[in-house]
Amino acid sequence: MTLKFNNAYIKNSYTLLGRNEHKVKIKTDKTIFDYYDKEKSVEQGEVNYQIKSLKGLLKKENLTEKNINVLVGGDLQSQLFASSFAARKFDIPFLGIYSACATFAEGLITASLLIEKENINNVVVNTSAHNLASEKQFRFPIEYGALRKKVNTFTATGSVSALITKEKTNIKIESATIGSVVDLGYNDSNNFGACMAPGAAKCIYEHLKETNRTPEYYDLILTGDLGVYGVSILKEYLNKEYKINANNIQDAGVLLFEEKSGGEIAGGSGPVCLPLILFTKILKENYKKILLVATGSLHSKTSCNLNESIPSVAHIVSLEVIK
Amino acid sequence: MKLEEYNKIVKKHSAKEDKFKNVLIAFLTGGSLGVIGQLFTTFLEKCFYMPLHECYMYTMIMFVVVSSILTGLGFFDKIVSFAKCGFIVPTTGFAHAMTSSAMDHESEGPIKGIGSNIFKLTGSIILYGLVAAFFLALIKGVIM
Repeated sequence: MTLKFNNAYIKNSYTLLGRNEHKVKIKTDKTIFDYYDKEKSVEQGEVNYQIKSLKGLLKKENLTEKNINVLVGGDLQSQLFASSFAARKFDIPFLGIYSACATFAEGLITASLLIEKENINNVVVNTSAHNLASEKQFRFPIEYGALRKKVNTFTATGSVSALITKEKTNIKIESATIGSVVDLGYNDSNNFGACMAPGAAKCIYEHLKETNRTPEYYDLILTGDLGVYGVSILKEYLNKEYKINANNIQDAGVLLFEEKSGGEIAGGSGPVCLPLILFTKILKENYKKILLVATGSLHSKTSCNLNESIPSVAHIVSLEVIK
Repeated sequence: MKLEEYNKIVKKHSAKEDKFKNVLIAFLTGGSLGVIGQLFTTFLEKCFYMPLHECYMYTMIMFVVVSSILTGLGFFDKIVSFAKCGFIVPTTGFAHAMTSSAMDHESEGPIKGIGSNIFKLTGSIILYGLVAAFFLALIKGVIM
């Protein structure tokens, strides 16, 4: 399902990076070297990250809560703990969303749809992730004595807020594709790249088909958090299943942890990987047409214990940078 | 695409674990843990004149206490990533799993947090350990 947008623009963003164990080199607006951020628990630490990134964005743009029409936010904690509890500090109508690691793209799509309405001028999209909080939520945590496999990705810690406006800026949200949930029956929860590649491939195929474009139309296809191995799987799967040859695919999770990716970890994961890399790296380089493919793995601890396979989803946002 | 075909693509591109190396490391580290245990038991037996079954018990307690403290100080997972299953399978892994889940849920309070989560994973070790012990004792009682 591809949607075209005429007046959705990204005006500004605020990136916040939490403590990270893999020495990320990207330059963010703020770095907090504390998993707890002076709170009692890591979960509340993540709430603080979101509050700080939202306040940072408002301050950067000299806006108050009254200027923001809607806040769209999501994270990885159950019942959207971080987003909802951060939203209670602001007097802004709030929509909570969840698509696992594809949350930011879902947020951008929701915001762009809202912006098309007449009386909505400013929408803030907000997302966050926390390594320890999500390990507790999803995986068999390393701290329980399990060994990390080479194909494991590492959830990046941080929070990113972006302001979407009607006002013309140099980053246009041109179109978006809402992906469907894909499940081939693959069930190794250690190898998220392999879990999410089919979802990403299907969404890319549908986007290209519905817009009559080829992968070369884009200067860069940026996937969310497939990891080093996931990207290779995606390329081969795209080729075999949909006859698409894409050589301009890069992965935000891999770019985030740079040379560490492919060594002890396969790359970064979590909803913040994509926006962190997009705002701190990709938009500063000379890319004109960027296709964001945010991938999410829609499993839970219970679904894994029930021996269910892992469904995945991907949402696509196409950006045009006007310089 | 069928799952089998997809699994082939995944297998082709994913990094493989070096099983032989991991097993060898686990054999050496787990073995050295056994040697330490034996030395400690002999030390208790010879220096404190304890009966052997009590020495075994104290050795186990020593391992649990030391690995719990190391987990609390944040060293144990680093040691495990080097020592592999050599440190996970023995009682040190049990203590580590127990202490970690307690630390994980510490912020949720002593009852609903630590109390109800401390045996999250290790609860199954205790449960099935007891069940196995019951049947083994039954077999021993019947046969002997």
